[in-house]
Amino acid sequence: MNAVIHTDHLDVGYEDKTVIRDVEIHALKGQTICLIGPNGAGKSTILRTLSGLLAPVQGTVYIGKTDIHHVKPDDLARRMSVVLTEKLNVHMTTAYEIVSMGRMPYTGFFGHLSKEDHAIIRDCMRTVGAEDLAQRDYVSLSDGEKQKVLIARALAQQPSLIILDEPTSHLDIKHKIEVVRILDRLSGKDGLTVILALHDVDIAVKCCQIVMMVKNGRVVAQGRPEDIITDDTIGRLYEIEGACYNSVLGSLEICNERPPEVFVAAGAGTGTPVFRLLSRMGFGVATGILYENDVDYAVAHSQKLTVISEKSFTPVSSKQEAAAGEYLAKARFVVDSGFPVGEYNQVNLRLLHKAALAGIRIFSFRSAADIARLFDGSRSVTSVASAAQLQEAIAGLSACRLETDFAQGKV
Amino acid sequence: MENGREKGRSPAVTTMWFTILVAGVLVVFLLNVGVGSADITVGQILEVLFGKADPSDKIYLIIWRIRLPRAMASLAGGAALAISGLLLQTYFSNPIVEPYVLGISSGSSLFVGLVMLGGITFGFRRITPVFLFIGAFLGAMAVMLIILLAATRVKNIVTLLIIGLMAGYLCSAVTSILSAYAEREQIAGFTMWNMGSFSGFTWLHIKIMYIIICPMLLLAFLLAKPLNALNMGDEYARSMGIPVKGTRYALIFLSSVLVASVTAFAGPVSFIGLAVPHICRILFHTADSRLLIPSSILGGALMASLCDFVARNIVSPVELPLGAITAIIGAPIVVFLLTRKEKL
Repeated sequence: MNAVIHTDHLDVGYEDKTVIRDVEIHALKGQTICLIGPNGAGKSTILRTLSGLLAPVQGTVYIGKTDIHHVKPDDLARRMSVVLTEKLNVHMTTAYEIVSMGRMPYTGFFGHLSKEDHAIIRDCMRTVGAEDLAQRDYVSLSDGEKQKVLIARALAQQPSLIILDEPTSHLDIKHKIEVVRILDRLSGKDGLTVILALHDVDIAVKCCQIVMMVKNGRVVAQGRPEDIITDDTIGRLYEIEGACYNSVLGSLEICNERPPEVFVAAGAGTGTPVFRLLSRMGFGVATGILYENDVDYAVAHSQKLTVISEKSFTPVSSKQEAAAGEYLAKARFVVDSGFPVGEYNQVNLRLLHKAALAGIRIFSFRSAADIARLFDGSRSVTSVASAAQLQEAIAGLSACRLETDFAQGKV
Repeated sequence: MENGREKGRSPAVTTMWFTILVAGVLVVFLLNVGVGSADITVGQILEVLFGKADPSDKIYLIIWRIRLPRAMASLAGGAALAISGLLLQTYFSNPIVEPYVLGISSGSSLFVGLVMLGGITFGFRRITPVFLFIGAFLGAMAVMLIILLAATRVKNIVTLLIIGLMAGYLCSAVTSILSAYAEREQIAGFTMWNMGSFSGFTWLHIKIMYIIICPMLLLAFLLAKPLNALNMGDEYARSMGIPVKGTRYALIFLSSVLVASVTAFAGPVSFIGLAVPHICRILFHTADSRLLIPSSILGGALMASLCDFVARNIVSPVELPLGAITAIIGAPIVVFLLTRKEKL
């Protein structure tokens, strides 16, 4: 299949200063290629060179089989359009007029719009869901609405390739998703080739066929997102410190490497919100016993918590049970996340039961009736129903402890 | 601006404003010919215009020698300044730009000063109107080139404006030094000219002015589409297949010629280039050059004629400097427009 756009030994940069060497792009019809990387890595420089707005420092950009700088400008405008990051400073202009600018490569000397042009403009606005904005002043639109109008304008050029620089930055989550879904639909259904730079790694991973990681003047990796994106690559790409990216979940977790002082009995995702809450409150957390295929395990691992785990689909070994028992015994308090109990994790209940008998404070997300049944009505187990209640209970505990410490003359 | 009200930009409203502008231009034109120290009726004006009056008649002489050239000069001059302002505002994508602010008018003044005061005639025996125009054009282009040269290094638009202002000050300074050395008679004429006025136009002046200005205004029409594209910024314009560089050269050439053609004969006239495009944007609620160019031509002609009318008649028989009137009318309009809730 012939590439819509491809490069040959392309070095990009400004004048003689090379910013990125050996940019290799080979975009087929209907493909979405996404550039990710930290700010200032040169994503925009690549996009500007690909769109012909910037001359390459070395090498060539080909549109079809022709050097982009040999394609006639209005011809190029009918094959490729752009959505840039710079803010448009156009007053007294409606959204409809902005979109109609996209017809310039097709209109005559005075830019007169034919009936067909108007139909195309309306169609493009419908495609991005901006038909209601037509008569609004462009400057009065929200960032998300503006972005949709700019995409509609680019579509009005009826290109086979569209290049977008950070189309989702400054947008709220609703508009982010909307913009990405529009692009996805365009590449899928209409066979448009889309090349874009994105800030949001999770969106890039989920929506683009090819991801290109740019860093320190180099394309560090390029390929299917499934092949090249791992927890490590993202961390290294953005030099993230104090947080870990989980490529399976597509989530960024804040690390908590404090030595464990509290224990969370978790499982099946019930533990995740508790981990986050306790980490935020500043507690070092240990958790267990989790199977390695448990989502709580994935999150706890990304947060770098102390995890007592067992291999998937095997009964919990006595060694791990003993290890968990140790952490439980030392814990200032224990949180029972209310995990579902099945044949293989009875051990967790057993551990909690033992801790309750030993008088360790346990906050349980189970109902009072369940607690009475499971823990024989032990007085050291308190039922909590929400994060707020848990936080209050923990605060109460600290106050208590302070009092005891005071009584014992430690303060 | 969250209400998102629909903007009435119906063809009916557009037509109405165009009709008002055309009518306004006609009325003020007739007033300019008819009103003065000797009042003349519309009938008499028409008689003169259609060649039915007696050429030796006093009224014929007043109309034909004095009032008609002057009224026609203010029409063309106003239109030229307004379009020049519009083109420069698009070029710099900045609404507070105009030939006077950028020092282009001052550049023209300096070169006209060199011709009128310095007696630099490059071998010509007399100062001809064409020569004045060439001087004014060279001056306008000189300042324009300085600004453009700076623009290749400085990307910040405010810095550019300041460079323009400074170039203007420099030109004014050299002009005043020239005045200090000039002879008294020359100074009187030059000072009058330097305050801006549409008086003293001969038919030769008018001919030259119209021959230069009319094709330039026509060329401006031809630039309407690229001008609209430039409103979106250079990169978008280029991505839409617009030859940005060529358009920019054309903009500079056109606006310099237009400014020069006015400054050469009427002296520097401020604010028309700034105020008229603004007023048109608001009246027509558009940034579309295809509407702004014709409306600015009419608006510029109307404003210049009106200002000249006021300058001539308000404290008659004393005639006020035109620049004072354009500033008094233009400056508050601009302030009002800028402080409105709806920004430009």
